[in-house]
Amino acid sequence: MSEPIRVNGFTSEVLGWKAWLPTIDLGSATPEQVAVLEESHPQAKVSDYYLTLAHDPEILRQRSLAFNAIMYAPGGLSRAERELASTVVSRINRCVYCASVHAQRFEQLAKRNDVIAQIFADPQTAGTTDREKAIVQFAIDLTLEPGALGASNVQPLRDHGLNDGEVLDLIHAIAIFAWANRLMLNLGEPVFPG
Amino acid sequence: MNSIVEQPADADVLDNLLVIAPGSHLHPVRHARDKVVSATQGSHALFFNAQVQDGLSLSERLLVAYYASRLTPNERLAGYYLEQLNALKIDQALLAKVDADAVESLGDPRLQAILDFTRTLILSPVEGDQQALQVLQQAGLTTAEIVVLAQLIAFLSYQVRLAAGLSALSAAGVA
Repeated sequence: MSEPIRVNGFTSEVLGWKAWLPTIDLGSATPEQVAVLEESHPQAKVSDYYLTLAHDPEILRQRSLAFNAIMYAPGGLSRAERELASTVVSRINRCVYCASVHAQRFEQLAKRNDVIAQIFADPQTAGTTDREKAIVQFAIDLTLEPGALGASNVQPLRDHGLNDGEVLDLIHAIAIFAWANRLMLNLGEPVFPG
Repeated sequence: MNSIVEQPADADVLDNLLVIAPGSHLHPVRHARDKVVSATQGSHALFFNAQVQDGLSLSERLLVAYYASRLTPNERLAGYYLEQLNALKIDQALLAKVDADAVESLGDPRLQAILDFTRTLILSPVEGDQQALQVLQQAGLTTAEIVVLAQLIAFLSYQVRLAAGLSALSAAGVA
């Protein structure tokens, strides 16, 4: 892997995250809480984030089902382009932790990080191809002004080759980070290495 | 349009509100990702379950949703949540204060703290810091209630963008 990118307070290095609220205690967790943690993420039982959300296991279960179906389902928009959109949303919402995680995932999938450096520097002009620029712009518009979105925002995506199934996958990847960013920003904070 | 309140419990809220009906060009596109459809509706049903016994009350949850829809804004979702509030016979004077964005004049410290937190997370989530959680704790919310509230506002931020994206795709017509 290449050197981490560090721009404007954003980074592609691995960060930790610590909760501001008391997390659940695994030793006294209910069987449902344990089951939902196991369904949600391989590292959930040692993650402050999942141990915070496990205070309401049923809501966490539905969140994880939505998140995993959106980010990992086969077919449709490439997983790298979903991660690209998630990174843009996290950069716009200023979620440093989420931006770091999804920058890393993009790089693992795409084997490059040029567009990540652009997103961290200035999302408004980011994109190494016209297709990437269209995806980035749609992610910015839907994140900042959902009330103003219309057919004219969809057209550039179609013009650059996205079919409607891929546009839907893109909408999902952007929308789910409106959700994820708020949990990460508002229930705890990133922990920087060193 | 029929009252949304009278829709069967298993109806999909976004399909109904956005009129994504079988036969429309968008219906097969959306339902090709049925796991997302069901987890979205499953989340909605949990947050607005009329049988909620403890924690945030149903009227508190619906007020958060209504206020969030007004702030974003999204008229269709605001109208939907308003209908639900009226079905609960919500106090119209309270509703008028929420409509006027006069949360500080509610005279209810718990509800004021909940709606102040809603405003911050909807409009500028990066400003929701540790101090914002302490305000909720001082207003008497438990840890579990704060987690549900944060999840609810975060879910609403997702739902409104999903609705906006689906509406745009519907308005764009057949490719």
